[in-house]
Amino acid sequence: MSEVKTVENMVSITIDGTEYKAKEGEYILNAARANDIFVPAICYLTRCSPTLACRICLVEADGKQVYSCNTKVKEGMEVTIDTPNILEERRAIMEVYDVNHPLQCGVCDKSGECELQNYTLELGVDSQSYMIPDTKREVANWSSVLHYDPGLCIVCERCTTVCKDMIGDAAITTTKRGGADLDKAYKETMPKDAYSMWNKLQKSVIAPSNGTDETNCSDCGECVAVCPVGALVSRDFVYQSNAWDLKRVPAVAAHSSDGAQIYYEVKPTSIEDRTEKIFRITNEWSYVSLDGSARFAYDFQNTTATKDKAAFDAAIEAFKKAETVRFNAMITNEEAAMLQTLKEKMGLKLYNLEVRAFQKFLNHYEAASGNALWSTDTDAIMKKSDFVISIGAALRNDSPAMKYAFNNVQKMNKGAGLYFHPVGDTLIPTFGKNVEIFNHKVGLEEAALYLVLDLFADKEKLPSEVKDYIESFKTTETKTIKEKVEKTVKEMVLNEETGEEEEVSKKVKEMVEKEITVSTNGLIDLLGGDASKFDDVFAKMMKKKENFSMMLGEDLYYHDKAENIAKLVALVEATCPINVVMTPPKSNALGVALICELDDAPSGYTVGYNENGDFKLSALGTGDLDMPAMNQQEGTLCNIGKRLLPTNAAVEYNGYELNDLMKVLVGAPELTIDWTATLPKERGFKGIEFDALTNSFDNDGTDNRGYVLETSNVETELPEVEKCDENAVLEGDIAYRCNPARQFNDFTDKSHEIFEAFALYASVEKAESLGDKVEVVFENGSITLDVVADAKMTGDIVKVPDYRAAEGVYDLFGESRYKTVTLRKA
Amino acid sequence: MGETVVDLLPEVTWVGVLIKAVLILAIISALAGFGTFIERKVLAFMQRRLGPMHVGPYGLLQIAADGIKLFTKEDIIPQNANKFIFKIAPVITAATAFIALSAVPVFPDFTIPEFIPVLGGVFVPSIASDLNIGILFVLGMMAAGLYGPLLAGMSQANKWGIIGAARTAVQFLSYEVVTGLSILAPIMLVGSLSFVDFNNYQHDEGVWMMFYQPVAFVLFLIAGFAETNRTPFDLLEHEAEVVSGYATEYSGMRWGMFFIGEYANMITISVIASIVFMGGYNPETMLFGFSIGWLLIMLKIAFFFFLMLWVRASWPHIRPDQLMWLCWKVLMPLALINILITALVVMV
Amino acid sequence: MSLEQFKNRNVGVQNYTTLDVGVSPTTNKAKFVQFITRAVKGELFVGLWVTGKAMFKALFQGDMHTVKYPFEKMPISPRYRAIHDMLRLLESGSYRCIGCGLCEKICISNCISMDTRYDENQRKEVSEYTINFGRCIFCGYCAEVCPELAIVHGPRYENASEQRAGFSLFEDMLTPIDKLNLQQEYDGFGAISPNADENIKQTPLAY
Ligand code: SF4
Ligand code: SF4
Ligand code: SF4
Ligand code: SF4
Ligand code: FES
Repeated sequence: MSEVKTVENMVSITIDGTEYKAKEGEYILNAARANDIFVPAICYLTRCSPTLACRICLVEADGKQVYSCNTKVKEGMEVTIDTPNILEERRAIMEVYDVNHPLQCGVCDKSGECELQNYTLELGVDSQSYMIPDTKREVANWSSVLHYDPGLCIVCERCTTVCKDMIGDAAITTTKRGGADLDKAYKETMPKDAYSMWNKLQKSVIAPSNGTDETNCSDCGECVAVCPVGALVSRDFVYQSNAWDLKRVPAVAAHSSDGAQIYYEVKPTSIEDRTEKIFRITNEWSYVSLDGSARFAYDFQNTTATKDKAAFDAAIEAFKKAETVRFNAMITNEEAAMLQTLKEKMGLKLYNLEVRAFQKFLNHYEAASGNALWSTDTDAIMKKSDFVISIGAALRNDSPAMKYAFNNVQKMNKGAGLYFHPVGDTLIPTFGKNVEIFNHKVGLEEAALYLVLDLFADKEKLPSEVKDYIESFKTTETKTIKEKVEKTVKEMVLNEETGEEEEVSKKVKEMVEKEITVSTNGLIDLLGGDASKFDDVFAKMMKKKENFSMMLGEDLYYHDKAENIAKLVALVEATCPINVVMTPPKSNALGVALICELDDAPSGYTVGYNENGDFKLSALGTGDLDMPAMNQQEGTLCNIGKRLLPTNAAVEYNGYELNDLMKVLVGAPELTIDWTATLPKERGFKGIEFDALTNSFDNDGTDNRGYVLETSNVETELPEVEKCDENAVLEGDIAYRCNPARQFNDFTDKSHEIFEAFALYASVEKAESLGDKVEVVFENGSITLDVVADAKMTGDIVKVPDYRAAEGVYDLFGESRYKTVTLRKA
Repeated sequence: MGETVVDLLPEVTWVGVLIKAVLILAIISALAGFGTFIERKVLAFMQRRLGPMHVGPYGLLQIAADGIKLFTKEDIIPQNANKFIFKIAPVITAATAFIALSAVPVFPDFTIPEFIPVLGGVFVPSIASDLNIGILFVLGMMAAGLYGPLLAGMSQANKWGIIGAARTAVQFLSYEVVTGLSILAPIMLVGSLSFVDFNNYQHDEGVWMMFYQPVAFVLFLIAGFAETNRTPFDLLEHEAEVVSGYATEYSGMRWGMFFIGEYANMITISVIASIVFMGGYNPETMLFGFSIGWLLIMLKIAFFFFLMLWVRASWPHIRPDQLMWLCWKVLMPLALINILITALVVMV
Repeated sequence: MSLEQFKNRNVGVQNYTTLDVGVSPTTNKAKFVQFITRAVKGELFVGLWVTGKAMFKALFQGDMHTVKYPFEKMPISPRYRAIHDMLRLLESGSYRCIGCGLCEKICISNCISMDTRYDENQRKEVSEYTINFGRCIFCGYCAEVCPELAIVHGPRYENASEQRAGFSLFEDMLTPIDKLNLQQEYDGFGAISPNADENIKQTPLAY
């Protein structure tokens, strides 16, 4: 392991006469914000690139007027926020924003939390000097969740920016509005910046970037979150409630392992029904970005629960009789600790298919590397890294945080990326110019890691067998190529395997042939790349790169040779300047992995907690005893950032909790959250009481939520790794256990704003060949699914979702994530 | 003593007297009720209000409604009260008031028509019992009425009651003196204690007594107000000072009896004043060939009654000390002087 | 502050005028004289005259002041704050209320509750609106804050009810559509000031 420790260089700048420290290379705006100084700014989004749409962030730096959102601080810089000229510009800009802005604040969903209003008031705009005929712009629904009212839009481009720079979909963009031209006279009379800003504003409006009426994006709703006015609103929320009526409950997004910060916003359902309902989810969008499940899968609470004594007694009996408790990752640390206690005191087996493989992998990793947990997190990657490698993760589906980080690195850090995955995804290449995709055959993840070793490892440090093994892939051959390089004919050719267009050079026969020696890296060919060109591409990718990171996904945990992979990861960390992050599969998988000793197989009478079982505890309201759903309980979750995060109850729950069962079974403290401090210290927990956990961000984006788990770092020998098993490659029709984006479990499924179907997802061509419905036959059973074409998928591998516990997809896939299956039309 | 009108009339039988007594009881009780109605109306008018309007035409049946209410109300007797006395006190008030009326001529004599079975032909006199000491009896009876409020106030174990009772004793006893002295002068002139003689005297003289005896008249009126516990001398139960005075703990019909007693007394005083000072009834006063004597005395009584209400609407009440000052230092000396002068005149 | 100081503290500006009440007689003789003069001057009869005149006027000159409520009602001031009315636009009959929720927010006793929705015409529509008159203190803030002059205090002040919570629904308060022509504009609490026009700044308009 060789973490590149970049000591942040601090410079001093003077803002309005007071001296402050700022990070070198930071924008003036961010430096000011980090020091709690207010500089007006509308269009700039922290963590995204400046768009210079609003120009209100004008400041004077060293005597020159600059935009604070895109001017970096320099040592000794003198910044003045307000000068008469700047104030005049700003006021003019705000007046222009107010030109023809509909006077419907009364009904606007922003309900006063509007930046347009705020800045209009801040700059004291009490009269209007400009005018232009208005253009009629139609309200549009862009997707199942996005509602756009262009009349309100101030074309700040925050939505498009976040979509491109953070989310990666780049699904919306500015387009022509067809508005009237500005009166030329304004050019002379108006402040300069205000005029040019208006000129742009008057011509533009936002629209889906694919030219249709639908964004066809991942429906994360982040554009809604960043919109400073009421132009973009979630469809379900339009005109439902005023912001001030909603009570914000700070919580953690429950579904993916991102553990993103969210607020449940609740108020009574209606006049007749005074029980509280979650109306929407909001987030601190400057510091976290949510995925669709975090933002829209919120109404999964167990509403029908009551204190059913009979069911409770039956549950007690069931536990007494049970040999196994089956559960999944959708569980708080506290509950996990309860189950572990049951294991210790009653000898129950803990069976958790979602987490077991991950736990084993972590154990292997710890054994090999001496580190209990991975070395970096997605936030750090976004902030620092300029080269990311992703192996074994379906980025779009598995881990939104990793997807955002991968994308953000390309956009913000002028980064480069390597993406290894068997399933082709058309979105990933669009993240940046320097993204190289390897759609390798299923089972070759080891090869990918060897390639990483080859590319990045300090060869001195590598064990000689490994070095030799890697060298064994390299061949030097004499090739006949055309002599005149400039006559090379380049062509776009459809790569059969990935369905992607690739640039291929062809030899022209008429040319004079010449023999040269070229060395070929067999690993690249093995992984489905083009060895002949990779060297050049890689050289370009590596230009000016300093900070490398690698993201590992669920595929690796379920790999047949997971242990070897874990060792390889350890080896990569030990020999390459690469930091690693792993995504825990779903929700609180990390917490469960750390707290529970899971068993490999169930036996006897089984109690299922949100899972199948002989007796079912269920937060879905479908089991034998009701349990609180994640939005109905207090507790903590662990996320990909290796943090323990507190979450709170947003809506009422009237039934029994697991802790009530514990009290009867083995004795337990009064409240579930009394368990928080008892979480195992040897696994990195800190023994802090729930109520003492913090839950906030600093102005400069420092995350203070909960605490970071302590990781042990033990010096270990370099692990002995095995060679890549090329025979493990799967052939034929392959099913991949992978959920559509936004679906993670039964709870996302239950939420009314999540529409992704439980179906077989396939690339367009594959879907065509499969027909409407197909039976997927596994060795140990089959499942019949509708076929859905996913335009962003390429290749022949089909995705089978696992988010419905009752469908038993985990059982079908067993210990792996890929299976050779027979696809029968049904 | 000369021949009275009564002597000229048919014989007074006990049946007649009984009927008369029942009549008085019934009619005066009803009149007392009606009095409350009139009082409320008159006060209302003087304050530019309408008064009771909703029960019956112009609110006439309000009396009935109030009666029903009073009869059906719970009769509460305080725990620490002397129960027996508490119970009979209102009866004393009512009874003395009515007994006093027995010696006062109310309504003309009449004979029950022959066609009515059983009672047909019975003569009903105008006075239930024409005592030759009529005035004395009436005043005495009214004075005895003092026991009602006094006992009521003392028996109810309530400080307001006690104060009310004390005021009763002081006020009634004091003003009894003025009443007596003031009416002494007319008596000296007439030389009889019978109301009939008063009536006849004025008829014979052709002048109302009030012109012979203006001072006595005024004194009598003032004392009458005090005796009947009317504003401006309503100290016995003045709400602003003693809640309801002697009647504080009373409710329902018992309280109602005080009320009836008070109104009966008001009528009595009005009648006495009419007969003694304002010429009484003169059966020979004719209008268009009808005897309107009775009508006239009705009007006179009504005027006095109205006067009481009018005064109530107009004047504030006075303090107890002022009341006593007035009685002993002003009214009584005046009355004595009046008697002396009258005596001198009569002697001369 | 000591009790003494407290009692002697100077409350406000002492700008009272003292009426000339004369001097009260002190000696008995003086009192008697006063008594006699007052009696002879007929002050008492002045009192009787006043009430008598009032009665005469009331009975015969129609100067009766009783209002036979509830058969007869006094006109109330437009500033009176009684049960709320929800008004409609006179031209179209549409609700004036745009569902902005300001009244709900400002309500000091938290007795307004409303549901809104996105209607077929892409507008915000109030789907239900209630006021709990058991809690309302008739402060008028809702009427004052309403940007549309939609909620006003109407003239209905008879709000006795059998229960402490008494809810009025939207339709109870809304001007019935067939009575639209009877809808009164309201110039009491929350109405725009007569000089509102003067307070508006001119804005260049491009249409
Ligand atoms: S976006 Fe909404 S709240 Fe903001 S100014 Fe426009 S209408 Fe008003
Ligand atoms: S929709 Fe919102 S975020 Fe997007 S450009 Fe318009 S105002 Fe800005
Ligand atoms: S009058 Fe006052 S208390 Fe009543 S609803 Fe309006 S704001 Fe609320
Ligand atoms: S303030 Fe007026 S417009 Fe707004 S919701 Fe209330 S009644 Fe409707
Ligand atoms: S914030 Fe800098 S231009 Fe908008």
